[in-house]
Amino acid sequence: MEKNRNALKVAVVAVLTAVVVVFTMIVRIPTAKGYLNLCDVAICFIAFTFGPWSAFIAAGLGTALADLFSGYAQWAPISFVVHGVEGLLVALIVRQKGSVTIPFVTKVVAGFVCMATVSLGYFALSAIFISGVSVAAAEIPWNLLQSGVGVVLGLALAAAVKRAYPPVSSLAW
Amino acid sequence: MNCPAKGGKELCLEVRALSFTYHSWKEAKNTPVLTGVDLCLEQGSRTLLLAPFDRGKSTLARIISGLCPKYLPGVLEGSVHVCGKDLAHTEPWQLLLDCGYVSQNPQEQFVALSVEDEVAFPLESLGLGREEIARRVDTALTNWGLQDLRSSSQQELSGGERKRVLLALQQAVNPRLWVLDESFDDLDRSWREYLTTLIREGEGTTLVLASRYLEQFEDLFDRYALLEGGKVRFGAKAEILHLFSVLCGDGLANPLKGQKLSKNVEHTLVCSDLVTVRTRVSTLEARPFRLSVPHFTITSGDLITLVGPNGSGKSTFSRLLCGLDEPRGGSFTLDGKKMGARDLNRSVGYLFQNPDLQIFLPTVREELSWSLKRRKDLSPDQVTAMVGECAALFGLDLEETPSTMSYPLRKALQAAVYYLLDRPFYILDELDNALTYSVALSIIALLRRNGAGILLITHDRTFASLVGESTYAIEAGVLESI
Amino acid sequence: MTTNTFVAGSGFLYRMDPRAKIMAMLLICVLLFLAITLEGLYATVVLLILVGSVNTGLRHTGRTFKSILPMLLFMALFMPFNVRSGQSLVSIGSFTLITREGALQAARLGGRFIGITYACTLLFATTPMTDVMLALRWYRLPYKASLVVTLSFTYIPFIADSFTQISESHRLREGGELEKRRSVFKRLRDLLPTLTSALVVALRSIPYLAMSLEQRGFGRSEKRTSYHSLDSYRHGFTDFVISLTIPIVFWLTFRAR
Repeated sequence: MEKNRNALKVAVVAVLTAVVVVFTMIVRIPTAKGYLNLCDVAICFIAFTFGPWSAFIAAGLGTALADLFSGYAQWAPISFVVHGVEGLLVALIVRQKGSVTIPFVTKVVAGFVCMATVSLGYFALSAIFISGVSVAAAEIPWNLLQSGVGVVLGLALAAAVKRAYPPVSSLAW
Repeated sequence: MNCPAKGGKELCLEVRALSFTYHSWKEAKNTPVLTGVDLCLEQGSRTLLLAPFDRGKSTLARIISGLCPKYLPGVLEGSVHVCGKDLAHTEPWQLLLDCGYVSQNPQEQFVALSVEDEVAFPLESLGLGREEIARRVDTALTNWGLQDLRSSSQQELSGGERKRVLLALQQAVNPRLWVLDESFDDLDRSWREYLTTLIREGEGTTLVLASRYLEQFEDLFDRYALLEGGKVRFGAKAEILHLFSVLCGDGLANPLKGQKLSKNVEHTLVCSDLVTVRTRVSTLEARPFRLSVPHFTITSGDLITLVGPNGSGKSTFSRLLCGLDEPRGGSFTLDGKKMGARDLNRSVGYLFQNPDLQIFLPTVREELSWSLKRRKDLSPDQVTAMVGECAALFGLDLEETPSTMSYPLRKALQAAVYYLLDRPFYILDELDNALTYSVALSIIALLRRNGAGILLITHDRTFASLVGESTYAIEAGVLESI
Repeated sequence: MTTNTFVAGSGFLYRMDPRAKIMAMLLICVLLFLAITLEGLYATVVLLILVGSVNTGLRHTGRTFKSILPMLLFMALFMPFNVRSGQSLVSIGSFTLITREGALQAARLGGRFIGITYACTLLFATTPMTDVMLALRWYRLPYKASLVVTLSFTYIPFIADSFTQISESHRLREGGELEKRRSVFKRLRDLLPTLTSALVVALRSIPYLAMSLEQRGFGRSEKRTSYHSLDSYRHGFTDFVISLTIPIVFWLTFRAR
């Protein structure tokens, strides 16, 4: 009997989206753009532990919803694209066959891709759609910092959760 | 005989030679939870299956509903047929009209944003028309007194209300077999009677799994069974009840009676004229809830219980007592000295109802060592010795992963962590939830060893009477001794 | 932390069909990007603010403006530096600070930002989330996607609550030993066990959620029906006509020649 895993997939993405929303909204340092938060930590954790599709949807939808709830609805589509692609790319880079540990080089590459995606993505899309080049450029250092912290903590969390809750690998898709 | 020979009345549930072992995430294999269970229920029969907590009761219920081993990996042998369908070749959604399962823990079964959406969800899955769904939802909500809570979300409901939502859902769907896991717990008396009537007058088959409040099941059931040693055994009512009580350890001496405590120093914590206001989560309350505590004292070695229904303010008081929240007025004094929130953190340990919220680390060893390592006055060898001694005392394996341990063991770990913190006072929030009385009592006895004062919060009066030397209750927002 | 975007009120926007409102929002956003005169842009913005105040109240309108004020100030500070050439407006000695073109561009981008903010915020402030999801499903959003959104709404409070309680029990265990002088780095590192624990609690609920979904019939072959509907919105057609007409009229009127 072929296993229909639709319910599990829906459940995984829904809960991970909620996780991204909560992480985005719990620690907040206001800046001009919006706020600095732990969203990249959550996204990198998901990208390192789960597959590309979960990472894409959870990251994109989660950050878009968080923007919506915080009253920054105009950023929602941009966040969806930028963070969705961030989750997707990082997950694709670190995807391994079986449960082989991820090589250090791969992690570094994933880290750089993550930081680049977030900063360049926000820069480009904000410049075009929201605020123009110079203002968007001012946000780049903050985004780099946030995504950098995100990669490092996300990796640490992925390792810690794997130890604390081994069944997590059966949930990944 | 558990299962009649072939032929005769139609069987709603047919379990033959069922064995189940959970998948092990470590090197060592797990012991089987069920070993050769035979259980057959005729159409329209009502059966009571008793089992102490954590002996395979919920596992059996989940297997019958088709959820296990699909979602809880393990090895299953034997066969299960529900209304003629072989579960090895059936998906859970195909059993929607055949088997309805109400879990012991309602929180894990909610999928919708509001109560009415929750009840409507399975009806939408059945493809019913909008009027039909509305009719069934209205009937079910009215029957269970949930009309006012239609648009409430799960967070706003009390434990009893959540159970009623799940029962209303089953009534709206009306499957042929009802599997009720501890559904009578948490319900008020009137609702327990309503559920009893529903079972008695219904045409469906009912399997009730229970381990508590057995007095009310007067003549409701046709057959009585006991789940012990991984097998199901039928028998006469008196016989089964007696065996069950033995299994739960009810006959064992109460470890709290006449317990000798090593009292080094005696502390007394006094609260006077406490006043606080809590903004309730529920949208139904117009006025914020006000709690006042004229006088409350707890001394080292005390056993105090705080009883009351859900939402009466017990948690509010506990949070004040351990310093998580600050009161609007009033004061706390320990041995005559005034205490602020930080001081209370250090003196009063609060064990949450859900142990998973107080366990952080990947192994039992790390969990137990964590607080000790931060103390400057202990050498690493002393830490290791203390951790080992504590684990032995609570029956814990140092290398286990908490997230894969059973519930009673996680509760024991939670208690062990606080035992090592050696606080003078402990607040235990609903400790008896999902534990047998004897296990809960032994945990309390262990925590009390070094002379700590215990405040136990519970809504189970029987358990309170086993524990408490003095009892408090919250009546209309005022905490008083009774 | 609130997940509520809805602001209670009474007004015609609340009675307008959500499907038409979504279209209106999209068209207005597009309009703000097209080549229209600055007066036209601000006319649209003012119209949006007026409609918003009438429907959701002045307080909400004010709050929205307050939330984007930092960004507007930021834009005002930086933007004039974008355009260097052109007629000088403000200068210190021979150094041109702000050019006319720079000021105009800043005004345009600022106005556009305000407009988009109000358009998006108004949509969610006047439409309950369930109706938004129903409207999106009418636009052919797959049921699974709307289910993911509603499920995440259900789980957000649960996870936020667990996180709060885990931090609190962490605080209890510390017993108030740690002082404020910890560096940011240390704080993040101490946050790690709390975050791990919160994640484990969230992840453990996944199999149970999936179990419930299947038990409640998710995956059945029957076509799924819906308990709620958008039937309570009476004048869908009229609303659509309004949503289409107003942006088009604005564009035709204020089109830059």
